[in-house]
Amino acid sequence: MNVFEHPILFYLFGIIPIRDTVVMTWILMVFILVLVLLIRKAFPSLLETVLEFITAMVDDVLDVDNLNPYLPLLGTLFIFILLANLLSIVPGLKSPTSDINTALAMALIVLFAVQFYGIRQKGFWGYVKTFSDPIWLFPLEIVSQISRTLSLTLRLFGNIMSGDLIVAIIFSIIPLIVPVALMSLSLLTGVLQAYVLTILATLYIASAVEINIEDEKMKKAGFGKKLTRRKEITNGKS
Amino acid sequence: MENLDPNTLITVITIIVAGVGIVIGTIVPAIMEGLAAGKALDGIARQPDAAPQIRTTMIISMALLETTAIYVLLVVLVLLFANPLIERFFGG
Repeated sequence: MNVFEHPILFYLFGIIPIRDTVVMTWILMVFILVLVLLIRKAFPSLLETVLEFITAMVDDVLDVDNLNPYLPLLGTLFIFILLANLLSIVPGLKSPTSDINTALAMALIVLFAVQFYGIRQKGFWGYVKTFSDPIWLFPLEIVSQISRTLSLTLRLFGNIMSGDLIVAIIFSIIPLIVPVALMSLSLLTGVLQAYVLTILATLYIASAVEINIEDEKMKKAGFGKKLTRRKEITNGKS
Repeated sequence: MENLDPNTLITVITIIVAGVGIVIGTIVPAIMEGLAAGKALDGIARQPDAAPQIRTTMIISMALLETTAIYVLLVVLVLLFANPLIERFFGG
């Protein structure tokens, strides 16, 4: 069926195979760039509204003093995935996220960004220490990081691809008007998935970054000894 | 049943398993999503002030719940369109 196939269109420099997904991504990048430039000229306040929306969305989940290091990544993820999911309503274009490779790329970006932010916030050994609070939890944490990436990939890919698939099936049965309802449903799913992936990425970053802040607050307030004692007690219990 | 060649037999079994699997795999997440939405509506009706936080949490948890249904869908699609068993046992 046409939905699953992502044919190789041409070879870049004679070796790198380029699928139609990548071409769609390029089209999307140009589209976003042109859109932003146009909006910046016509109504600059709209860009500010978008920024405020993303900031509020991230601020709900991520409880840190300075949001600035995290906003560029999360905002980019949100805008890119949102427009990528909506791209399939343009006739002739496919949404890049209906290919599992794009979804996996997004999930891998989130995975490495979480490690990066965690290490930058706490230092390498500090991050590893929170990773393995009782030491035998270390392998479990590794597994949870990997499975989390897998579930991000499959959620995005499965939702978008199944939306396209359902539209294709209904289109092959009744090509008139009826697919429009399902297309609007898949648009809703696309917006929701962009929101969900961004919120989940924020949650994962928050779980890598936040604990340290509370510790530091306690240390600053002079609770350092109490804190270590409390940790010893909880470790002894578990 | 004895007259079927093994290839057809595997295909038939796959189709039956795919049908049963997608039915069970969508019923359970659907019920649980309904429960989650109902509880969230309860909470919003009781405390309208907390509606934004409840909504965010509900959307996240519903997305996590929906993932299980998506897993089932992907497994069924692999079984139907790219069945590894036929090639493995009978060389295509």
